[in-house]
Amino acid sequence: MSLIIKNLSAGYGKASVLQSINAAATPGELIGLVGPNGSGKSCLLKTIAGLIKPTNGKVSLNDQCVGALSPRARAKKIAWLAQDRSAAWALSVSELVALGRAPYRGRLGQLSVSDKMAIDVALISAHCTDLQNRSFDALSGGEQARVLLARALVVGAPLLLADEPTASLDPYYQISIMRTLQNEAQSGKTVITSLHDLSLARQFCDCIWVMQNGRLVADDAPDKALSEAILADVFRIKSENGQTVSVQKPKKT
Amino acid sequence: MRLALLILFCVVAVLLSLSIGALHIPLSDFIPALFGRGDEVHITIMQDLRAPRTLLALFIGAGLGASGAALQGYTRNPLADPGILGFSATAALGAVVALYFGHQNWITPAALAGAGLGAGLLLAMVGRRQGATVLILAGVGIGALATSLTGLLMNFAPNPWALSEIVYWLMGSLRNANFDAAVLCGGLTTVGLVCLFLTGADLRTLSLGEDTARSLGVSLGKVRFLLVIGVALCVGAGVAVAGAIGFVGLFVPHILRFLFGADAAKLIPLSALGGAGFLVLADSLTRVLSTNGTVLYLGILSALIGAPFFIWLAFKAGRS
Repeated sequence: MSLIIKNLSAGYGKASVLQSINAAATPGELIGLVGPNGSGKSCLLKTIAGLIKPTNGKVSLNDQCVGALSPRARAKKIAWLAQDRSAAWALSVSELVALGRAPYRGRLGQLSVSDKMAIDVALISAHCTDLQNRSFDALSGGEQARVLLARALVVGAPLLLADEPTASLDPYYQISIMRTLQNEAQSGKTVITSLHDLSLARQFCDCIWVMQNGRLVADDAPDKALSEAILADVFRIKSENGQTVSVQKPKKT
Repeated sequence: MRLALLILFCVVAVLLSLSIGALHIPLSDFIPALFGRGDEVHITIMQDLRAPRTLLALFIGAGLGASGAALQGYTRNPLADPGILGFSATAALGAVVALYFGHQNWITPAALAGAGLGAGLLLAMVGRRQGATVLILAGVGIGALATSLTGLLMNFAPNPWALSEIVYWLMGSLRNANFDAAVLCGGLTTVGLVCLFLTGADLRTLSLGEDTARSLGVSLGKVRFLLVIGVALCVGAGVAVAGAIGFVGLFVPHILRFLFGADAAKLIPLSALGGAGFLVLADSLTRVLSTNGTVLYLGILSALIGAPFFIWLAFKAGRS
């Protein structure tokens, strides 16, 4: 599903965060959204997902404006994975993953055969079939991250937005999550994930969007988007004698 | 199996409630008497006193239990309770205004108006966009205001008789149950329960947080509207008839969540059932314990059971 972001501005309440973002994504692409803390990555993902109303510009999927869709119709087209990994109650893994079928379930909430199939497929894709009867609370951080990814995959939406799915995970789970996202993209979905680990972004993503102070400052293949100049200017780091060191200069406002 | 036990608990509670009273009516007599057969006195006692009282306890308990489950689901907090949004307090204030002016007949409409006013004020203050925390804070504020206004009315009570009426009424009781009250309370509670049942599927999705629920197509404004209307009807109708009865909405959903899991879509109807059974049993207990002219009030008994549970829950939450 082609995503087009046109002249998009948005923010939290009265505080404006995103400023005139223009970008596009096509099916089959895994896009890494990178940028320093507070650069607007989460805000951009939420605005694309329709959770934040743009103050200007628009987001469209296959020429259809996201803002014009009903909540249910939008939910079937865009899956959004939150950065927060908490669940309010002690749900089992299969119950939690089934929550992703909410846009398809009726008032009585019975799961249909296709819902159950989608749950099985999502559990396999996120490598957590063996966890399905366990309580979500009792899982490790890495296992919880995989289960929540399965919850997002089970929606079956053509556009998947993941907000820092690899944050605070060990390398094994980081790679496992990125592989799953890569497989989803290769199966024809459009996948956008925000990341702090630039080497993961470089290794797995087809394209990198670099954000700084609410603006998109680079949109290119990993090698070009994460050039030395961008690393120094946006991330305030540089490579010196094979080591990454910080660049001493005041943060741009 | 667990559901069968819960239903059995309710049936036993209802039979106990129908069989307990000043006059002993054997089991073989009271069911025919309910349907107007047998001894005249038995028929009058069953149809005019015990059946309405049991029905009222069922409806009020169901409303309080379901309200608690729905509010806990919405706030994602096991400490939430219908009292927390201030509806019990505004409904009680309405009833106390009626008692203050000595108009016993106005208690029901005044309590309903109080619950409705509380709900309307809350919605107007919070609007459609705010999250659960703001809703709770506003509810606590409205409740505190209503409680202090109730205190003010008691402070300036026109005569000792009005003051004692208010004090006894606030303790909560089903002593004055009658068939008309059961019909009115039953009707309003049923509408409220339907509103609450309709929020179940969305509240289940809300267990992953408001943003994730919205990304899955949940309209928070609609959930909040149904929730406020449902809780106001259930609590308002209950307070109008029986005075303030607290804590049922707190511990019934909590125990049932432990037994049946946290799925709000199931927990709301189950809590209605559990709350109904509990309140019928508690009301029967007040009748057993009220002897020699001393009346034990249902509101007091319910709080005596519920408050230690609340403290234990808060203690447990603090330690984990």
